[in-house]
Amino acid sequence: MAFEIETVVKVAAYTGGGLAMGLGAIGAAVGEGYTAAQANAAVSRNPKISADIFKNMLVGQAVAESASIFALVIAILLLFLDVPVPSLLKAAALLGAGICMGFGAIGSGVGSGYPGGQACFGIARQPAVSSQLTTNMLIGSAVCQTPAIFAMVVSLILMFLNFENSPLYPTWAAYLGAGLSMGLAAIGSGYGGGLAAGASCEGIARQPKTVTNVTTIMLVGQAVSQTPAIFGLLVSFILMFKSYPESTALSASMALLGAGICMGFGGIGPGIGNGMAAEGAVKWVARNVENAGDLMRIMLVGQAVSQSTAIYAMVVSLVLIFVV
Amino acid sequence: MGELGKLHQLIIPLFGHNITINLEVIAMTWIVFVLLIVLGLFTTRNKTLLPKPLQAMGELIVSLLYDLTEDALGEEHAEKYAPLVCALFMFLLVSNWLGLIPHLEEPTKDLNTTLGLGIMGFVIAHYAGIKSKGFKAYAKEYFQPIFFMMPLNLIGELAKIVSISFRLFGNIMGGSIIILVVSHLVYSIVLPPFLYAFFGLFVGTIQAFVFTMLTVVYISVQVK
Repeated sequence: MAFEIETVVKVAAYTGGGLAMGLGAIGAAVGEGYTAAQANAAVSRNPKISADIFKNMLVGQAVAESASIFALVIAILLLFLDVPVPSLLKAAALLGAGICMGFGAIGSGVGSGYPGGQACFGIARQPAVSSQLTTNMLIGSAVCQTPAIFAMVVSLILMFLNFENSPLYPTWAAYLGAGLSMGLAAIGSGYGGGLAAGASCEGIARQPKTVTNVTTIMLVGQAVSQTPAIFGLLVSFILMFKSYPESTALSASMALLGAGICMGFGGIGPGIGNGMAAEGAVKWVARNVENAGDLMRIMLVGQAVSQSTAIYAMVVSLVLIFVV
Repeated sequence: MGELGKLHQLIIPLFGHNITINLEVIAMTWIVFVLLIVLGLFTTRNKTLLPKPLQAMGELIVSLLYDLTEDALGEEHAEKYAPLVCALFMFLLVSNWLGLIPHLEEPTKDLNTTLGLGIMGFVIAHYAGIKSKGFKAYAKEYFQPIFFMMPLNLIGELAKIVSISFRLFGNIMGGSIIILVVSHLVYSIVLPPFLYAFFGLFVGTIQAFVFTMLTVVYISVQVK
């Protein structure tokens, strides 16, 4: 059965749009559910300020939703995109864009539910610091969105750049690989950043005087948790912008696809692990602020060790791109 | 949409190699320098015991960043590294905010700027480590826990440069790409100011702070 090229591009765009929104809907919904659950617990603990808690819950959920809104934007763009010069390469790029945004929205969505939930519970516990808690929740969950923003950038580049001069084989695999690498690697980092942000809201409610130290260590912890997503971004940039010699051999294409899959899956675990390290450190800074310096140093060393698996994945995918 | 990924470059052929200079980035970096020098002159002119508004603002910035450095590095090192930390933060903050002004662009949108700053932080951190611990103790750390982990430890250290510079570059460039595409799609109605406020002011401030904090923390890991 032979298809015209226009049909193939349409098929890829529609499949990509469906994947972007379908996968992208998973994360934010879970995160918002967690926020709502914590808000219920908070109201039953301190029913007098239920209006404040309700307002905070809605604000937190609105921020948690942004990862899904990115996915919605990409999905709509893919459905109604007008491709001036249809080619098989464009089809691969569009499919890659959809996959990238879909997976990329999962982690940030789930993660940014945690600060919302913990902030609601914290307001019930310490109504006096509710404005500080809301500010911290907003900063924490906005930083959680960084992996999803990276995924959106890769999707937009895949959709709008001109690729007409590149050879179809093996470049098609490079575009799919770029999408997989960024999308999958964003899952762990988004979730991990959420764990750190949640712990900081909980900590501020417990010990409002430590707010400066807690916010600082939260930002550093989240930034380091994002490192696997940054490696994913690096690999997908190299895959997208390197020029490849034409080769119809299957192994050349599969090496590029494999590089993307390797970095993508390799980034999930370290992102979550780094988030757990940051969660622990932030939690204990709030309880024991005198040792904040030591806690930060141990957190960084521990994160560096747990990140080493992401570095192995990056080394293997760079070898796959440049050597094989 | 054609401006996506386009750069104004000056290419100088030299002994068979091409030296590429990104003109816009250099011009924007100099604008940041000039803004910061002017700010510095105005805040330190006519110093009085009872500070005037500008002087008070300058003192606030410097003392906040000094305290931050002192918390992470301890008293003796803080005096040495606080000027660097202040300069780095102010440079990044003004750079990230520069895109708010029409026709100007963030120098941090270019990977060369962030990579240069990342390498600078890396070199300073390792120099500080060698100086405070001695070369033997410094080199020994690469052979932990067993000697054959050395190459991976080395790659792990180099990956820090990649992560710190791509974090800043990805956030700023990502923000500007999203602003460009979304403004184009909505015909620049209603949405762009909010996007500029989020990506320029908010994300720009947080990323400047994160970059500075990570540089300080890398120094503190090496020193202690």
